[in-house]
Amino acid sequence: MPSPLRHPAALQGLAVLIALGLVIGPLGPLLWAVLRGDAITQLSEPRVALVFWRSVWMAALSAGLAVAVGLPLAILAYRTRIWGAELLAMLMPLTLLLPPLLMAQGWNGLTGWDGLWASVFVLGMCYAPLPALLASRALRTQSAAAHETALMLGGRKLALREMVRTARPAVILGASLAFLFAITDFAVPDYMAALGETFGVYPGHVYTHFRDDDYWSGARAAAPLVLLCGLVLYLGLWARDHWGAEEVGSERQAQSMDWGRQTALTSLIGWSLLSLTLLAPLVRIVYELGVAGPEAPGTWSTRASESVQAALDRGREDIGRSFRNGAMAGGLALLLAPALAHLLVRTKGWCGRSIMTLTALPLLAPGVGYGMGAISFANRPGWSNFYQGTGLVVLVFAGRFLPIAVFLLAERFRSVPRSRDDAAVLHGLSYPRRLIQVFVAPQASAWLLAATLVVVFAVRELDLAILLPGANQSAAVRYFNALHFARDGFVAAFGLLIAILLFLPVMAYAAWTSLCRRDD
Amino acid sequence: MRATLAPLLLALAAWTIPACGGPEHDLVVYASHDQEHSEPIIQMFEELTGLTVHAQYDVEQNKTVGLVNRIRAEAGNPYADVFWNNEIAHTIRLKEAGLTQPAESEATRTMPEEFRDSEGHWVGFAARARVIMYSPELLAARGAKLPPNILDMSASAYAGHGGLARPLTGTTLTHFAVLSQKLGRERVLQWLHNSRETDLSYTNGNATVMRRVCQNDFPWCLTDTDDAAAAVANGYPMQVVYPNQTENLRGTLLIPNTVCMISGAKNPEAAQQFIDFLVSPEVEEYLAKSRSKQIPLNPKVTLNLPPEDLPLPYRDYEVLAVDWEATAAELDVVQDEFQKLFIQ
Repeated sequence: MPSPLRHPAALQGLAVLIALGLVIGPLGPLLWAVLRGDAITQLSEPRVALVFWRSVWMAALSAGLAVAVGLPLAILAYRTRIWGAELLAMLMPLTLLLPPLLMAQGWNGLTGWDGLWASVFVLGMCYAPLPALLASRALRTQSAAAHETALMLGGRKLALREMVRTARPAVILGASLAFLFAITDFAVPDYMAALGETFGVYPGHVYTHFRDDDYWSGARAAAPLVLLCGLVLYLGLWARDHWGAEEVGSERQAQSMDWGRQTALTSLIGWSLLSLTLLAPLVRIVYELGVAGPEAPGTWSTRASESVQAALDRGREDIGRSFRNGAMAGGLALLLAPALAHLLVRTKGWCGRSIMTLTALPLLAPGVGYGMGAISFANRPGWSNFYQGTGLVVLVFAGRFLPIAVFLLAERFRSVPRSRDDAAVLHGLSYPRRLIQVFVAPQASAWLLAATLVVVFAVRELDLAILLPGANQSAAVRYFNALHFARDGFVAAFGLLIAILLFLPVMAYAAWTSLCRRDD
Repeated sequence: MRATLAPLLLALAAWTIPACGGPEHDLVVYASHDQEHSEPIIQMFEELTGLTVHAQYDVEQNKTVGLVNRIRAEAGNPYADVFWNNEIAHTIRLKEAGLTQPAESEATRTMPEEFRDSEGHWVGFAARARVIMYSPELLAARGAKLPPNILDMSASAYAGHGGLARPLTGTTLTHFAVLSQKLGRERVLQWLHNSRETDLSYTNGNATVMRRVCQNDFPWCLTDTDDAAAAVANGYPMQVVYPNQTENLRGTLLIPNTVCMISGAKNPEAAQQFIDFLVSPEVEEYLAKSRSKQIPLNPKVTLNLPPEDLPLPYRDYEVLAVDWEATAAELDVVQDEFQKLFIQ
């Protein structure tokens, strides 16, 4: 008797049930607050409404900035021949590995910028890789015919416009994700609101309410944010469906565009954009390794080497634990994401979008709310091994960051021609085999990248690390603890160490694919 | 594909399953103190007693309230045995919520009465003082003066040259709750309101405001002694003043670390051993000589440090007398008001 999981509905249903279980367990009270209409009543207080709408437009500007930087960066890195394009493409995601607060400190140290606009700028730079990464596949798989026709009829200008059109759906989704991350970020505005006119943001309001004795108070405060994020995501998915033409037919992919005499200029633009998102603050962070006051003993290099040594000595075990937890969450995402991504690609209309929005709720909810929900769900007599162990951590981390993997994978699955899937059906392939052979295998790099992103975000996650017993002794807790207690050199060294370790697999993979391409 | 997937899944399972049960331990300690110092102290305790401790740490953005929240959320089935808080007000709030239990012993009774609970639920040790840290060079360059006391910080002559953390978390929240309890809520709220009209800078924490002085954004700040000590340890030529609160309300505010046993703790004996160890002169001496220069409260501690290295309360400066229970009750009320003032 054939396994029921051979059918798409069964496997996808199972994946959706697991994903929804990860949502409803910890987020029940928060969802209830949203459904009860607390989102609206919260905003009836003028002060709260003011802070809320400020957060909305700040996040919208940050997302716009992320697109303004991320899209040209993606086009230059992935589809044009500029100097060091491969290196540019490889370095671009590195920004996502660094905590936004570290970036804020880097920019503040470099420029002295403070205040609301500095906060918008930093968040825009931090999340620029999101639209860029989501757009990258669409750009790489653009039909050669469309590109060549545009180049012939309207030159580079029209070809660029065609690339933007091709990338638009993915960019919209990337912008939505950048908006979600920016509007829920508390650390950067909190740090930047120091000099001049101070300003509050809505996550600050949510955070202070979660400190109250009553979880419901935090859940009610978070309700408008969760509702808005859900709406933005739904609209992002709608826009993506509405404008995203499925790639059909052409198996031949467009070549990278040559800039001719403008290569130097475009290379300069590309590397300047990367400097904004990564290199400039990174230089400052490296400088922080050994920076000290005029009365500090030793030289910059001796202090820097002491900082690195301290980071290795004190943080090694925490890094190991964080990576193990992140890797397990990434592994779980590897299993769940393909079926969900396929569901997202193949289920048209409001139903598919609603399922995805619901599945994404852990990402939309404040980490502290998700963590508190996980405690009330899992801290029960007789469950102590589960509560204090890694199992809960893996489930919660995977639940929170799975949507990132699903969205990235869905973008890649979209470029698989429908005809190939239909042929597999006609050939009698079971659903799991179809999913693996037609979708996952050709997109193995995206599959691994999606899991890597889950690992990255899990390693960076702070709120859940504080709240879950199995996650507490982690790189994130040690990093932010040292940040608070002004161990500046240690913080820079430890932050760089984490980023380098996270980036090593990405670099190794990029080098390997580059070698394979040369062999071909 | 199947051939590559199977070993991957097997490897993941082999890595995952052994870790799922959680660590074996004799005691669970929640510590909101600086991990760089609390970690070696916990290790010292493990070596001394042979017990295994599962330690959980807190960080700046959730500053004490992360673990405090967790203790509240876990109330039905407590996981922590001991809470080592790096301030006092939230410990008392936990007591008021019925989440702590008495843990008095001969060792805890050696601490001064003003720094321990009359019912034995908590005991204070290794304090920090709320001080004004300044850069003499920048102060002179700007032709500015230091405020003579805390409440004068917002006067126009001083405000443009200084800063402090927003009183929403940590020791600054506790400090303003003390002021509110002593001087009256209306007066403190009005002061905060006025200070926002002047150029007094507000940052997200004591370490940040200290850093701002080090990077010459302004010449002085209100912060904790451990942050000032960190600035000096990082080679910045900073000086410290132990201020009175107002002209009439004399004394510097000391905020001790506190430790308490959680109600329903699963390992009460080990918890009591740990509490006794924390308040021992050896631990206070270790913390006093550490980079954060915590101020010892145990009269048995004998430090051979000169006053310029570590000024001591009562000997080198006056200490503000505080009713901690009343302060914790006040904090409950004023923190909402502070939030309304600062989150807008």
